[in-house]
Amino acid sequence: MSSLTPALAQRLTAEHASAARALTGPALGAAQSALEALLAAGLPSTRDENWKYANLRTLEKLRYLPAATAGGHAAPVTAALLPPTVPQFARYVFIDGVLAPGLSAPLGGAAATLALHDGTAGTVTAGSADERFALLNAAFAPQGFTVGVAAAATARLELLFIAAADAEHGASYPRVQVEVGPGAQLALIERHLSGAELPSFVNGAVTVAVGSGGSCAHYRLQHLNGRSTYFDTLTARLAARATYRLHGTATGGQSARSTVTVRLEGERAELTLAVAALGDRQQVQDAYAVVEHSAPNARTEQIFRGIAAGRARVAFNGKIVVAPGASGTDSRQSLRGLLAGPGAEIDVRPQLEIYTDDVRCSHGATAGKLDDDMLFYLLSRGLTRETAQRLLKWAFLGDVVAKIELPGLRRQIEERLVGQLQDDTLRELL
Amino acid sequence: MGARTAMLSIEDLQARVDGKPILNGLTLEVGAGEVHAIMGPNGSGKSTLAYVLAGRPGYEVTGGRVLFEGRDLITLAPEERARAGLFLGFQYPVEIPGVNNVYLLKAAVNAARKARGQPEVDAFEFLGLVREKMALMRMEDSFLSRGVNEGFSGGEKKRNEILQMLVLEPRLAILDETDSGLDIDALKVVAAGVNSQRSPERACVLVTHYQRLLEYVTPDFVHVLVRGRIAKSGDRSLALELERRGYDWVAGEAA
Repeated sequence: MSSLTPALAQRLTAEHASAARALTGPALGAAQSALEALLAAGLPSTRDENWKYANLRTLEKLRYLPAATAGGHAAPVTAALLPPTVPQFARYVFIDGVLAPGLSAPLGGAAATLALHDGTAGTVTAGSADERFALLNAAFAPQGFTVGVAAAATARLELLFIAAADAEHGASYPRVQVEVGPGAQLALIERHLSGAELPSFVNGAVTVAVGSGGSCAHYRLQHLNGRSTYFDTLTARLAARATYRLHGTATGGQSARSTVTVRLEGERAELTLAVAALGDRQQVQDAYAVVEHSAPNARTEQIFRGIAAGRARVAFNGKIVVAPGASGTDSRQSLRGLLAGPGAEIDVRPQLEIYTDDVRCSHGATAGKLDDDMLFYLLSRGLTRETAQRLLKWAFLGDVVAKIELPGLRRQIEERLVGQLQDDTLRELL
Repeated sequence: MGARTAMLSIEDLQARVDGKPILNGLTLEVGAGEVHAIMGPNGSGKSTLAYVLAGRPGYEVTGGRVLFEGRDLITLAPEERARAGLFLGFQYPVEIPGVNNVYLLKAAVNAARKARGQPEVDAFEFLGLVREKMALMRMEDSFLSRGVNEGFSGGEKKRNEILQMLVLEPRLAILDETDSGLDIDALKVVAAGVNSQRSPERACVLVTHYQRLLEYVTPDFVHVLVRGRIAKSGDRSLALELERRGYDWVAGEAA
């Protein structure tokens, strides 16, 4: 049951044929089968339960050909445009989804095994109907990047994706596969920025597998410009006693949608998922995160803090599924949205599906305005109403921001959040 | 009350909350250098008076007049009242996780300084001043980096209110049941804080249910509030008499 209109299916096919000219051998075959799977499955529509808050109107108008394949009309990206590096993190820069060696650390120099491939490695079929944008990525991505951390090794990496091409010209398909070996530790910064003020179209696909006893701290920053369209699909699997901490911040995009699936497949696996999203003007920030507990005694903590200002819509749909046999599951969900504009919209939705006994699952979700009592307290101390409101907004995000353990990166994220809150007076808090 | 000029002058004040009249013609004058205790049974309007003076939304003034150093207080926004030198010590201070205590103190002091046309406070000197006041309030250093009242015990919250008062140095402090829920040691610390602030230029209104605090902070005047009016005024001995005879005695006289 494809939800693709005939016109869109036809265009995807034609643009794919054009993109596939650059491919040969197994890569061509893989891209073809991904396209076939995509045409069969279709792309989500807002009639789909888990997509109703996303902005999918642009899908009919977008150009799907990879910007890298279409060839160079992109704005030039120089080292001076890049944000400061975080100490001890080797940086790899991708322009429109393709590695820029001149701006990157050497591939051989990292503590991890890094490899570029032709975009075909990894799964082609979407794991679930909500992962269909990953099929789009598999069909079109001209290049993929794999990160492997050997057993008991430690690595720190930043993958910086710059969307440089105008969406009219072509799309960007970041594609990353991460494997953290048993007992290994990886700190990974995945950052998405715009190279210019042009509207870009980014469709990323990331998979993460953490081996038994391994740990991965994944800092995920979506800070594109406010004109871009952004979709991403992140799928993670955790083995026994593996730890995965996902820290997300989303400030960019005219419309952005993040689809996160985490499968806790091993006993005593631990997940922390902490996301902050800020929307202003007419931005749409939508995220769906499903966590599947299939092994006993695993833990999940899911925190979301979103602020919608102007006429923005900020949505977070957090679902936790506890499969039969996953006894001893401990999950906590705290989802909170703050309305900060007269035409703004907040949708926070906690969902729990429990198919076993002996679990501890708590959830809380609120959507509202600033607390009147807190506001009055600050006013009674002489703070202006404007300062008091900004301070409370900042404090609202604190639960998520404080969990970022890298001081250098936290500061960059705070700067970005302050910028999005359009508030220079908050800078002295940093 | 003689020739002294009142810092705070409340005349026939009427106010309601949720449409219900709570203050019914309250008249009170507080002069510079004075400490007044407002006592009264539960529901007599003590906290309402404190909130009306601080400008809390939902506390609607329906009649009368309040002058603070010659200005019509009721027309001012809460933050303007604070900058004019009025301070409310809350009965139940709210917790604001994520807003740092020092930042709030600094922002509050700078807001007042800006209103007076003074430059911002020097960050280093300011921290010294805060530490000095914290020592007086027996507060630990870790307090500085914590969120406002975040995870504080009842006693810590009350001490934090007094600390804010000491740092802000208001002309008029209204302390709403600052003594409630304190053990005797904490009460003495709070009282020492209040006493350290007594001066000919400043005034203080202590709203309290029990006379216990008044053993440590000696008031110049004691007023009994009954059904939204001052039913009886006197000196320190009135508080002791209330302790002996209970509020029913005054309420009976007022009826």
